[in-house]
Amino acid sequence: MPPLEHLHMKNVLQTVGVLEAVILRSFGPEGGQVLFTRDTGQAMLSRSGTRILTALQLEHPLARLCVWKHSTATGDGSKTFILLLASLLRLIHAAASKEPNVSHSYNSTKAAEAATARHLADKLLAFALKELDELIATGVVPYGGRISWEDFTATAQSPSLANNLCVQKLLRSFFHTRFGYTHCDFISHLACELLSYWKFKNELPSFSLQFVSDNFPALHTPVSGFPVCASRLIDGQVIHRDFATPPLKTDHQPVKAVVLTRSLQPTLLNTGDVLEVGCGGRMMEERSIVHFSAWMERSLQGIIANLQTLGVCVLLSAVKQSAAVLALATQAEMCVVECVSEDELSLFVRLSGTIPIWDCSMIEPEHVVTLTFCRPIQLGGHRYVHVAFQDSEERITVKPCSLVICAPGEGQTEQYACALQDAVRMLLRTWEPMHAAVTTTSKRTLQSHKSSSLHTDNLTDRTTYRSSAIQPIHKCVLEPGCVISAGGSFELLLHYALLQHGHSCSVSHDLNIDTSVSQLLANALLSVPQKIYAHSPRHFLETQSKVINSELDLGLESVSCKYQLLLAVLQCVRSLLKVDTVLPTHIALHTQSSRPASTSWEDTEDELLSGYIHLHTHTHTHIVYHAIYKEE
Amino acid sequence: MALNGDEEDFEWEPPTEAEMKVIQARRERQDKISKLMGDYLLKGYKMLGECCEVCGTILLQDRQQKNYCVSCQELDSDIDKDNPALNPQAALSQVRERQLASQSPAPSHTPELNESPSSSQGNMSVPQPRPEHCEGAAAGGRTPLPPPAVPSPSRLVLQEAEEAVLTKLRWATNQLQSSASLEASIQLCSLITSCANSLRSLKEVSQ
Repeated sequence: MPPLEHLHMKNVLQTVGVLEAVILRSFGPEGGQVLFTRDTGQAMLSRSGTRILTALQLEHPLARLCVWKHSTATGDGSKTFILLLASLLRLIHAAASKEPNVSHSYNSTKAAEAATARHLADKLLAFALKELDELIATGVVPYGGRISWEDFTATAQSPSLANNLCVQKLLRSFFHTRFGYTHCDFISHLACELLSYWKFKNELPSFSLQFVSDNFPALHTPVSGFPVCASRLIDGQVIHRDFATPPLKTDHQPVKAVVLTRSLQPTLLNTGDVLEVGCGGRMMEERSIVHFSAWMERSLQGIIANLQTLGVCVLLSAVKQSAAVLALATQAEMCVVECVSEDELSLFVRLSGTIPIWDCSMIEPEHVVTLTFCRPIQLGGHRYVHVAFQDSEERITVKPCSLVICAPGEGQTEQYACALQDAVRMLLRTWEPMHAAVTTTSKRTLQSHKSSSLHTDNLTDRTTYRSSAIQPIHKCVLEPGCVISAGGSFELLLHYALLQHGHSCSVSHDLNIDTSVSQLLANALLSVPQKIYAHSPRHFLETQSKVINSELDLGLESVSCKYQLLLAVLQCVRSLLKVDTVLPTHIALHTQSSRPASTSWEDTEDELLSGYIHLHTHTHTHIVYHAIYKEE
Repeated sequence: MALNGDEEDFEWEPPTEAEMKVIQARRERQDKISKLMGDYLLKGYKMLGECCEVCGTILLQDRQQKNYCVSCQELDSDIDKDNPALNPQAALSQVRERQLASQSPAPSHTPELNESPSSSQGNMSVPQPRPEHCEGAAAGGRTPLPPPAVPSPSRLVLQEAEEAVLTKLRWATNQLQSSASLEASIQLCSLITSCANSLRSLKEVSQ
């Protein structure tokens, strides 16, 4: 077994430097795309930082730590995350090697450097939690603007507004970074339409956005083989299952449906049970299993008859129904949809306001829901069930619709779906009230990600910072909907604000700590616009002057997302610098279960490795490295 | 930087110019390593959790389960450059150092020459334009080598030749540091190269 390895700053720097080199060429508006190929010959182009980083084969625990942290932090900005991380670590390393911490005695200079670096990281995080939002509110937000939730498209705006701020513009810049300019207009328009349909009246925008984000898998249908412009919205809900029995012949409206959570035919017998066929002591001949099943069928017929009297024609079942049920339902001219997924069923239940049937012997009228129609719909190569709800007062006052996402290939539909979901998440962050965002982010990540290891990671992170922060409650709140022009303006403005803060701190009282920390952060922030304009330094200078005069018109970015990103970077820096030793252990891996929670397409490929980069499948023993954290 | 590793307070002094060059060279090398490793990762190599024993770089593993260290196997080694047994340039600079140290009080630039043997190849300062001197010096630097078959008087000749070449080398270095034109500095560098070549040939001849 390989020996314990003590980590030095050099290793940390190298790891993050390598990740930075990987994403650097795809960064910025002129960034390139990565071509992923598989052993099966499938190919996919992507510029998304999340996809690139999660597709890499990384066994080094620090690298995996970086990739996990970023993928849970925000829906976007993963490349910026890595860039900021790398520049911060380099600056901390430079600062730490300059002033070794002489108050403790250490075995070597490396240990002294590591301790200083850890200390600096803690100070940075504390500073950021305490003062950064104020700085942003005073130094950055005045140069940007506010988007109101009501204005989705530019046409709804009053013509006097010069900047033309609207949700669609924000989404357009977001999709521009993912797809390029070909389809970003169309997709942003589609996304705006979807969100305007799903606007819950009398509720906060964050409520609707959270709803759409949580139910997104049930709200969209990927269809491959069509051009992207064929994507559209469909009224009602699309259930991603086909009819198990022939669909309704006569299109009589309205249609009544029930939701079943269990099989109609109760399983009285399990494997291993012994059935004693008799009749209470009286010995009759010809009592056999045939009679038993006939009795069971009669009870089933009773249930179906009950449903018929209630006028039910559609059965939506969460489980597979037996053949007897299907036959009887067909006879009774009912159609059955089996194995509907849980989230789709819960969405259906929520939108229809009905109660699913639990006990098949007691079916009441409140279990029955009235639909406008329930018919098959052909989307691409699959046939699904399309339902539309009748407007009723009890239901939520929203017009349900479903999104059909078309793209030439399967990988691309998945990319578009991911991008849309990330866009919704980004909007959610933008409209979340700021002081609540920091402490409830852990709850949201609990909801949106299923992997338990990430839970504990985030929770321990949040609890540790909460205990170490001096003032846990922020008094200053960034207003929801703040945006700023894209292209590095946030970083530039914050850079200047931090420098000014540093100067004013050093002038008013000699808190050297604050000055150096804000200086460090300011310098680190400058690396982002530098990399964006690495191709043309002249543009960098021009941009700087334009930003100050608020003339930049390269698109919009959300201020709170950037703030969250910065906080996530600082927390990641702290975690990375806390790692003391690497302990190798042997565990047998059947799948790459140590990978972070991934999208559905990757989940289905259990044996093959996720990600497209030419990879082999490994199902034998692996050496997995665990990072040991130093307690201080 | 006084890095002794005991518990005493260490005084941090700003690094000298030579040390800055070393730091810069090291940083560039690290950047190159990171870039190469990033390219390999994108090609499908796996980043392991182990480090190379020789240089401390993170190891990569290709699809055939073979471990690969980017800095050892691809880049020229950082320290081999200074090893006289492996590098003729380093050997030459060692010879030069000894020569200069054995001579009478040397001009002010020699301490720098002695301190940075490994960065002697990259001194791109601004020289002044003196083309005719350069040509003459170049012609002087390319002193005809003494014929190989000549016995002991050749030893004296060789020594004189070496001294002449070293003088020219020293002069050229001086000029290079103060020159302001690109052309002149290029010519001075080629002069230095030819001086070094001559020294090498002289060394071979004397052995």
